[in-house]
Amino acid sequence: MSFLIKKMSRRAIVQALIALPALSLFRKLPDADAAHPSHAGASLADPSEIVEVNGWILKRSDLA
Amino acid sequence: MIFDSYEAYRAANFTPKVCILGSGPAGTTVARKLGAAGIPVVVLEAGSREFSDESQDFYRGTTVGDFYFDLDITRLRFMGGSSNHWAGWCRVLDKQDFEPKAWVPDTGWPIRRTDIEPYLPEVRDILDLPAFRPDMPISDDIRWVQLIKSPAVRFAEKFGDELDKAGNIAVVLNTCVTELVGDGKRVTGARLWSNGQDAGSFSADYFIVCTGGLENSRLLLWSNQRSNGGVVPNAAALGRYWMEHPTFEGGNAILADYNAFEVDAVNEAFFSPTLAAMERLQIMNFGIRLIETPYPGVKSLIADLACTAPSMAEWMSYQLSQRLRCAAQLYVAWEQAPLASNQIELSKTDVDHAGVPRIELHWKKSELEHRTLLEGLRLFGTTLIEKNLGRVRIADWISNGQDYPTNDETAGHHHMGGTRMGTDISKSVVDANCKVHGMDNLYVGGSSVFCTSGQCNPTTTITALACRLGDHLSKVVTV
Repeated sequence: MSFLIKKMSRRAIVQALIALPALSLFRKLPDADAAHPSHAGASLADPSEIVEVNGWILKRSDLA
Repeated sequence: MIFDSYEAYRAANFTPKVCILGSGPAGTTVARKLGAAGIPVVVLEAGSREFSDESQDFYRGTTVGDFYFDLDITRLRFMGGSSNHWAGWCRVLDKQDFEPKAWVPDTGWPIRRTDIEPYLPEVRDILDLPAFRPDMPISDDIRWVQLIKSPAVRFAEKFGDELDKAGNIAVVLNTCVTELVGDGKRVTGARLWSNGQDAGSFSADYFIVCTGGLENSRLLLWSNQRSNGGVVPNAAALGRYWMEHPTFEGGNAILADYNAFEVDAVNEAFFSPTLAAMERLQIMNFGIRLIETPYPGVKSLIADLACTAPSMAEWMSYQLSQRLRCAAQLYVAWEQAPLASNQIELSKTDVDHAGVPRIELHWKKSELEHRTLLEGLRLFGTTLIEKNLGRVRIADWISNGQDYPTNDETAGHHHMGGTRMGTDISKSVVDANCKVHGMDNLYVGGSSVFCTSGQCNPTTTITALACRLGDHLSKVVTV
């Protein structure tokens, strides 16, 4: 790792750090179901995920 | 033979071996079994042939805790007992209802479902039932269950003539036992009340208490108090572990296809959880009753859905235009956890006309039961999504954890526990044969012996247990 960093220019390192938030891994999606503890931690982007909104038990894709 | 008074019965010089208290489904069934076995039996029925306010007044009492029905409304005190107002809904407790639930204390029976299954053909004859059908899984979590809506047999109407003609069965109306007398080993006699006055003492070789799921505990508590522990020597559990089937409207469903599962003659269907789902979520058994919603209700439900999921609402709206039946109300009835604190006590201040203390019922639903209701609806909603059958909306008061409404069904008028069956004398009153622990000649019939309640109406199981008790007694009692 340190070998790689030594080989990269300072400019390349800064560009990489700026780009990180754009990666989905680091992106915070809006949580439509934060109040439902049984679903906490599930993949929020899954369209077939079960969500509970206004009392309705729905698939996330129903909300589209 | 049917007598309208104890005096008339005495004049007949009938000598019974067995005395049964109460002529409801349990009492009548045990009497018919013993009569068929050639054993002379007397049935003491507190009421007359018809309803009367005077008789019902003996059933007044108070409730402490959650809202419950008036105790003189929720049961009937005349020939045939509460079979005179039951709805006729029939189902036997599930196999899993008899097994202990590792996640709920004090569950599990000392008998299995297989112990009562041999009596089910007889039960079908007694209750005029079609064949029982197996459950059908809808998903890994939810099963369709059969709940038979029978003609609701009124036991006095159906069996009155048979009892009247039976030479070895005497039914004595307007006569009740106010107190059993015991010496810690046997019941040695009983005090009678007939037609508004003390009628002296009475004796028989065996006594079977079948006075209902509230009154059984009341009579035994009072008798035990009067006999200084001589009627129920091991009384730690007496009156305790009382249960009902709480019943509330839990929400609604919009269905893609109302014909996806079987419905009965009035377009209702019933669903329960699988054992795996109960284990995984650590909840009790429950029954969801799906009732077809009238058309205006469907429209307002779809309008509500449109605020949350417009595309789904549009699709449902299209479904509605294709099929007029596409929404339902969801009523949920569930199994209560058996709690010692839910109990029948004797009033310290109020007695009936015969001087017997009235009931003070302590009844409260637990947190586990609210979770059973909520998770049960979630299971059902998830199943409808998985199987592409529709969507569920849970009622706001459940989602928000608010109090139970007091203008809903509340419960099933199913009185269970109080003299529960078991092997641990500190947590039960009767053994696997319904005999009171430590007593040679005292038995209990009816739903008061239930260890757990399951989710279904109790009369079918009561009748099966009564057939089994009758069979047992016909081997024990010598003529």
